[in-house]
Amino acid sequence: MSSQVSVAARPASPEGPPPATLATRLVDHPNIVLTGVLVLLILVTGAIEPDYLSISGLRNTLLLAAPLGIMAAGQTILMLTGGIDLSVAMIATGAAYVAGNQSSSGAAIAIAAGLLVGLLAGSANGVGVGVFNVNPLIMTLAMAAILLGLFTAWTQTWLQGSTAVAPFIKELGGGSFFGNRVPYNVIVWIGVTLAVVGVLRRTGLGRLIYAIGDNAVAVRLAGVRTWQVTIVVYAFAGVLAAIAGILLAGRTGAVDLQLASTFLLPSVAAAVIGGTSIFGGVGTYTGTVLGALILSVLNSMLTFLDAGQAVQQMIYGSIVLALAWAYARVVGAR
Amino acid sequence: MSTVTDELATSDPAVAGAIPHSRSWRRLLVRHGWTIGVWVLLALLIVWYSTLIPSFGSFQMASIAKNSLPLVFLALGQAVIVIAGGVDLSIGAQMVLASVVAARYMDEQPFAATLAVGVGVVILLAMVNGTVGLIVYTSKVPDIVVTLATSFIISGAALWVLPSPGGGTSAGFRAMFTGSEFGSGENFWPPIVVIAVSTTVVALVLRRTRTGLSLYAVGSDSTAAYLSGVGLRRSKVTSYAIGGALAGMAGLATIAITGSGDPRASVGANATLNSVAAIVLGGIALTGGVGSVVGAVAAAIILFFLNPILSAMKFDPNTAQVIQGVLIIVVMMIAGLLERRRRRAE
Repeated sequence: MSSQVSVAARPASPEGPPPATLATRLVDHPNIVLTGVLVLLILVTGAIEPDYLSISGLRNTLLLAAPLGIMAAGQTILMLTGGIDLSVAMIATGAAYVAGNQSSSGAAIAIAAGLLVGLLAGSANGVGVGVFNVNPLIMTLAMAAILLGLFTAWTQTWLQGSTAVAPFIKELGGGSFFGNRVPYNVIVWIGVTLAVVGVLRRTGLGRLIYAIGDNAVAVRLAGVRTWQVTIVVYAFAGVLAAIAGILLAGRTGAVDLQLASTFLLPSVAAAVIGGTSIFGGVGTYTGTVLGALILSVLNSMLTFLDAGQAVQQMIYGSIVLALAWAYARVVGAR
Repeated sequence: MSTVTDELATSDPAVAGAIPHSRSWRRLLVRHGWTIGVWVLLALLIVWYSTLIPSFGSFQMASIAKNSLPLVFLALGQAVIVIAGGVDLSIGAQMVLASVVAARYMDEQPFAATLAVGVGVVILLAMVNGTVGLIVYTSKVPDIVVTLATSFIISGAALWVLPSPGGGTSAGFRAMFTGSEFGSGENFWPPIVVIAVSTTVVALVLRRTRTGLSLYAVGSDSTAAYLSGVGLRRSKVTSYAIGGALAGMAGLATIAITGSGDPRASVGANATLNSVAAIVLGGIALTGGVGSVVGAVAAAIILFFLNPILSAMKFDPNTAQVIQGVLIIVVMMIAGLLERRRRRAE
C-alpha cells in the first residue's frame, strides 16, 4: 500500500518536498498536540467549575505549575543525559528548611544558603554517578534517604523551630503583581526557562548533554571528560530543585518534612509527557513546560471533582499513563 | 544456615583441599563470587550482632527472620522483573494493596477462610501486574514510566479498599508466616522455612525451566532472544505476573507481622526503594539478564538487619537511616570501581 503511494507521489517531488498534511505536521511537532491537550483540559475544568476560567483560577494553576516546572527542568536535563534524580523532592525540602533557618539574616543570605544545599547534594549525586559509575536510580534514592535522615535529625537540633519563612520569600513564592493577576514565581520560572533552553540550544554544554544521552561511549572516545559533564548537570539539577523548594516554602508560608514529597513523581511525569526520553538524547524543555502545565491543570480539575483522595490518585495515574502512551504512539508513527 | 557454612568453607582454600577439586572451587568462586560474598557478609553480621547485644537467642533470630520477610519477597519479585529487562517502581504499592485487601477480607474470619483470601490476593496481584506488563509491552512506553504511573493507580486503589488503617487476620495465618499467633515469639523456623522455600522455588524456576531461562535471555538481549524464538510479550507479562504474585506474598507477610492493614502510600514508596537497593546490592544488574535471586535475598535480609544492628550500636533512627544510605552508596561505589578496573584489565 505505502509503496504504491510513494510511486504515485514521485513525479511531483522535483518541485519540492511533498505537501505536509495536517497529520505529518502534528507528528513532527508534538508540542502542538500537547498544547491542544492543555487547552482541552482547561476547557473541561472550566465546564466542571465555571469560576476556574477566570484570572484568579488560572493564576492558582500557574502558582502550582511554577515549582513543578522548575523541578522538572532539572529532571529534563538529567533525563537527556540518560540519568534521573529521585532525590529532587528531598533536596527541595532541605533547601526550604535551610532558607527558613537563615531567614533572620536577610532574604539574600537565606536564598543563597538554600541554593547551597541543592548545589552540595546535587554535586554529590554527580560524583557518585559520574566518577564511581553508581546507577543513578540507586544513587539518588539513597541520597533521598540520607537527606531525609539528616533533616529529620536536624529539625530537632540546629534547624529547630525554623519553620517560618522570610517575608521576601513569601512574596516571591506566593504573591502576585499586576493587580494580583500574575504570580511572582512565574517570573522565576520564565528566567529558569530562558536559561535552560539557552543552555540546551546554544552552548557546547547543551550539545554535550544531548550527545551523552545519545551515545556516551562515542562521546568519551571523542575526548570529552564525560564525568565532568555529569557532575555539572547533577549539580545544576540540585540547584533547580532548591529554587523550587524555596518557592514552595514561600507559597505555603511554612516548612515541613513533607513539603515537596508530592512533587517527585510529577517532576518525572512532566518531562515524560513533554516528550523527553528516559533513555536520553531526545527531548526539549518547552515540552516539559507544557507537561508541567497539563499536570497542574489536571490537579485543579481533580480538586474540583471532589472525588476523594483515592479516586483522585487513580484518575491522575491513569491520565499520566494515557498521555505517555499516546505520546509514544504519535512519536512512533514518525 | 547450612548453606552459609558451606559457602564459608568454599571461600577457604585450605578446606578445598584436593588438587582435582581446586579448579571447580575456583570456578564456583568466580561465577558466584558476589552471591557468596553477600551471604558471608550476612553471616558475619549475625555473629557480630550476637556480640553487640546482651542476650542473643531464638527470640532475636525469629524477629530478624520474620521482619525481613516482606523485603525478601519484594526483592525476589523485583529481581525476576529486572532480570527480564524491566524495573517495577510500583512493587511497594502492590504490597500495600495486597496487605489492605487481605486485612479487609480476612478480618474476623477463621483460618481456612483467611488462607483462601491469601491465595486469592496472590492471584489478584499476579493478574494486576501481568496487565501492567502487557501495557508496558503494548504501549512501548519505558517500564519505569508505566510503573511510576501505575504506582499512583495502585496506591489509590489501596486507599479506596481501606481508607484508614485497620482490618485484621486470623491467628493461624499469623503463625504461618511468623511462627507465633501474636506475630512475635521464640519460634524462628516458620519464617526461615518460608524464606528458604520461596527463594529455592524462584531460583529453580529461573534457572531450570524454559520460561525462566527465556526471561534471562530477553533481559540480556531482547533482539537475540526474539530471533531465537522467545515471545517478547509472553516474557514481559510472565515476569510482571511473577513479580506481582511475590508482591502479594510480601503484603500477606506484612499483615501476618503487624496484624492489620495500613494503606499509606509512603510505606509502599519506601519498600520500592529498598527492593531496588536489595537486588542491586545482591549482584543483579539493572540493565537485565545478569545476577541471581539468591544473592538478592541475602542483601534484602542485610538491608533489614542493619536497623537492629544500628540501634544496638545506640544510633538514633535518623542517624541510622543516614548510615544505611551512605553504606549503600559506598558499596555501589566500590562495585563501580571494581567493574571499571575489570574492564581496563580486559
